[in-house]
Amino acid sequence: MTAAALPRRSDRTLPRQIESAIEFLRLLSKRPSGLIGFIGIVFFLVLAFIAPIFVPNQVNPDVTALYETPSAQHLLGTDNSGRDVLNQIVQGGKEIISVALITAFLTTLIATVLGAISALVGGKFDAILVGIADIVLTVPPLIVLIVISALARPTNFLALALVLSSLGWAGLMRQVRAQVLTLKERDYVEAARSLDLGLTHIVFREILPNMRSYIVIHFVLAMTGAIYAQVALIILGLVPFSGKNWALMLYFANTQGAFYFKDAFWFVFSPILAIVLLQLSLVLFVNALEDIFNPRLRSS
Amino acid sequence: MTPVLSVRDLSIDYRTRRGPVHAVRDVSFDIAKGETVAIIGESGSGKTTLAVSLIRLSPRSARITKGAILYTNARETIDIRTVAEDELRQYRWSECAMVFQAALNSFNPVINIWEQFADTARAHGMKDSAAIHARANELLDLVHLDPARVLKAYPHELSGGMKQRVLIALSLLLEPQLIILDEPTTALDILTQRAIIDLLGTLKKKLGFSMIFISHDLSIAAELADRMITMYAGTVVERASVTDLFYRPRHPYSVGLLRAVPRVSGAMGAVESIPGSPPDLIRLPPGCTYIPRCPLAIAACADREPDLVPVDTPDHDARCIRWKTVAEQVGTAEVAVAEKIATA
Amino acid sequence: MAATTPADAKMVAQQYPTTPRASRARHILGYWRHPVAQAILKAFLTVFVTTSITFFLIRLMPGNPIDIKIDELTKDGLMTYAEARSQAASLFSIDLDKPVLEQYISFVGNLAHGNLGYSFVSQGTPVMGIVLAVLPWTLFSVGTGLLLSFSIGVFLGLFAAYNRNTKIDHILSLGGSIISAVPNYFIALLIVIVLGVELRWVPITQMRGATSPGIQPGFTPQFVGDVLFHAALPISVFFLATLGHWILGMKSATINALEEDYVNAARARGLSDGRIMTAYVGRNAVLPLVTQLAITAGLAIGGSILIEQYFVYQGVGLRLQAAVTQRDYPVMQGILLMVTLAVVLANLAADLLYSKLDPRIGRAGGATGT
Repeated sequence: MTAAALPRRSDRTLPRQIESAIEFLRLLSKRPSGLIGFIGIVFFLVLAFIAPIFVPNQVNPDVTALYETPSAQHLLGTDNSGRDVLNQIVQGGKEIISVALITAFLTTLIATVLGAISALVGGKFDAILVGIADIVLTVPPLIVLIVISALARPTNFLALALVLSSLGWAGLMRQVRAQVLTLKERDYVEAARSLDLGLTHIVFREILPNMRSYIVIHFVLAMTGAIYAQVALIILGLVPFSGKNWALMLYFANTQGAFYFKDAFWFVFSPILAIVLLQLSLVLFVNALEDIFNPRLRSS
Repeated sequence: MTPVLSVRDLSIDYRTRRGPVHAVRDVSFDIAKGETVAIIGESGSGKTTLAVSLIRLSPRSARITKGAILYTNARETIDIRTVAEDELRQYRWSECAMVFQAALNSFNPVINIWEQFADTARAHGMKDSAAIHARANELLDLVHLDPARVLKAYPHELSGGMKQRVLIALSLLLEPQLIILDEPTTALDILTQRAIIDLLGTLKKKLGFSMIFISHDLSIAAELADRMITMYAGTVVERASVTDLFYRPRHPYSVGLLRAVPRVSGAMGAVESIPGSPPDLIRLPPGCTYIPRCPLAIAACADREPDLVPVDTPDHDARCIRWKTVAEQVGTAEVAVAEKIATA
Repeated sequence: MAATTPADAKMVAQQYPTTPRASRARHILGYWRHPVAQAILKAFLTVFVTTSITFFLIRLMPGNPIDIKIDELTKDGLMTYAEARSQAASLFSIDLDKPVLEQYISFVGNLAHGNLGYSFVSQGTPVMGIVLAVLPWTLFSVGTGLLLSFSIGVFLGLFAAYNRNTKIDHILSLGGSIISAVPNYFIALLIVIVLGVELRWVPITQMRGATSPGIQPGFTPQFVGDVLFHAALPISVFFLATLGHWILGMKSATINALEEDYVNAARARGLSDGRIMTAYVGRNAVLPLVTQLAITAGLAIGGSILIEQYFVYQGVGLRLQAAVTQRDYPVMQGILLMVTLAVVLANLAADLLYSKLDPRIGRAGGATGT
């Protein structure tokens, strides 16, 4: 009677997830910077996790070739012990990205759970939790992390991730709480007959889908924060684990005074470039995500 | 006498991804000096699109594809569609003032009411603060507000009704010839609505400006209007004086609207809403747009969209090929229809 | 309950005292509702909680600094355990003999008097003095950098929003994204290794330190010029590190503000585009950004640990880095507390500024009459 019927799609039998993934990529391709970011992320994931399988640890560094400038043999030069820089770059991303992923996961988990519970329980409990979140948001994060690390001495991934996520949950927690509060109001009005159990159930099955965009965006942002913090902590020497790590390269460069040494430029610049490009990919990707998710949110 | 505003065959399209939305189609009407014209229609009928185009404030996605908007004052006639930017800015508010829908958000939240008065005055060349102040006081008195309190206040400190009054006062600042009010009472409670309507009636009589009153509420509009225009699916379907529209409607849509007004007195029942919903303005049907909801539709209606034709009373046009049938049907129920006015 | 006898009346009156003193007291209590009072209370609470957490971290964690210090002092048999214990305790300004709660109270009391303990490394030097000597330099560089980036960033963001989807918008937005992705300490490091060492465009050795030797402090143009010369690099870093955030934030806020009804209403009243841009769009768009000023400062200060190291700028960051390397826990604690205090005060100032700018906050708002 009114609008002309939309043309029916030919029978598509792809599962819903793949269809939405394709749709997502299509939307992403409309935003070139976001696409570049996405490609960058994929690149770094491959570089950090898959490439090391093919690129072995160096066995015999050539001790005569110290701080060499880039050549055909050593594309990014060598460090102070003759080790190939490019090799170290390939090996060095795994830890950083792993810690970032774990931290982002923990932060998101804590924030979502605390935010939802706080909104559901309400009252004094809620007020206290919000107060704590406010305080956590106010303190200068890196300084606190440094003091905590100096005192607590994290020695492995998980410990470091825990330390990093001790501060990062506050922002998302407040957003989750705000969302749950609005949903809580609606449910009270419409479904006073729901059992309390039912209410919790409905809320958890309704917020999470609605907040998917928030959560994904926050996850990626938490990763960038985790990278920023852990690199600083490592460069300061507060995280004493061995292993290949871009930030650790910079720690060594610092202790060896390589910053002021012209020949050591590529040894110092390469890890910086790697970290910056990784951060950049994440940031460009997240900007595109906000752009993609926002128009829909705004129209609702 | 040249009409103050003459809209001729105005057509406006919106650019969208699905194609152009024909929001306003071949709209023509005149407004004489001191006349109040009510434009009635449901959401999506194109009335707001039409209104904002009269001061050329349409969003960027809108485009006037056809027609002219001729405004005449003592000195000249200008076509709003083509007039230059700075002349347009002078025209806005000093010749034609528009009070938007949702007046509740018409004020800048971070500056006080006096500043907003002063901004408006200064934008039109009034420089003397004392003079502006005196005028603001005068206008606020006119709308029954306390100037001392209101001028110092910030928008969030005023109620919806107060803000609406301030906007009305503000609209009179430069003594415009024409004031356009888009749904001025929609967001207000019923007592405030009453007060605003009364106020507008008094001001209209006292100051003699022409007014375009846009609403979906027939009874409110009828109180202030001299003439009424009903719009449907972007075009004018009936043009008549208030009494003609109420006593002698000639388009099924107008009849439907009248029947939908609840009666305070008299027998219960016979309040009907019009079934169905308005058409898709991107893919318009070839014939009359009202067919799906029209109780009098016949095969011939679908051939082409009817022209706006004069009917049996003077200065009265309807866009329906069966207006005579409408006249017959209404004729028998004339008493019932007329009762609506008595109770509105 | 109605008062039926004079005794009853007295009882009722006692329940609701109306003496001038009592009503004044209630009047003052009413002030707690005021946003300003609440902000001050929140500031207090933040510092209080941070100090408490620091205390418990230091006292109660396994492998805590006090035990470490005691071990260190008794290692070579130089002191007895008791002597070492009292030495460590005095350095931290804690009396280890008293129960933990009393320790806590006296710790807080000491703090209130400005006693932050004594440095482990330079024995006997009060931490407060150490921190106060360096904190102003950092606050100066961060503050200046941030003020510059805010003013310029807001302006650029407004410009980008008004010229949306043009080339200049794309450049500004992309540029903003890119610089905000680079960690602030890397901007400093890159300046050193690229502009300083590699290209030699910047005389980094000369610009080291907060001041040049031999110049007398005072409000002379010579001294001020020298200070600015040395602070130029840190200020530039903080400027660049935060600029992107303001550009993008203001652009998005402006786009939102441009869609508001009152902007169209202002146009309908014939106001000029310039006036609308500043007083209607700009003033409303910048509000949410003001709330972020202090938080951004807090984030930026964190980076000063490395930034000041690279520029050898004697601020609180450099001092903290030294304290960390030397395991000088009282100094670390003192710096944490003082920096937190500074950020909290900055937050407070920003909140107050915001309440001045936005008339909807901090006033008895609400509709009155019809």
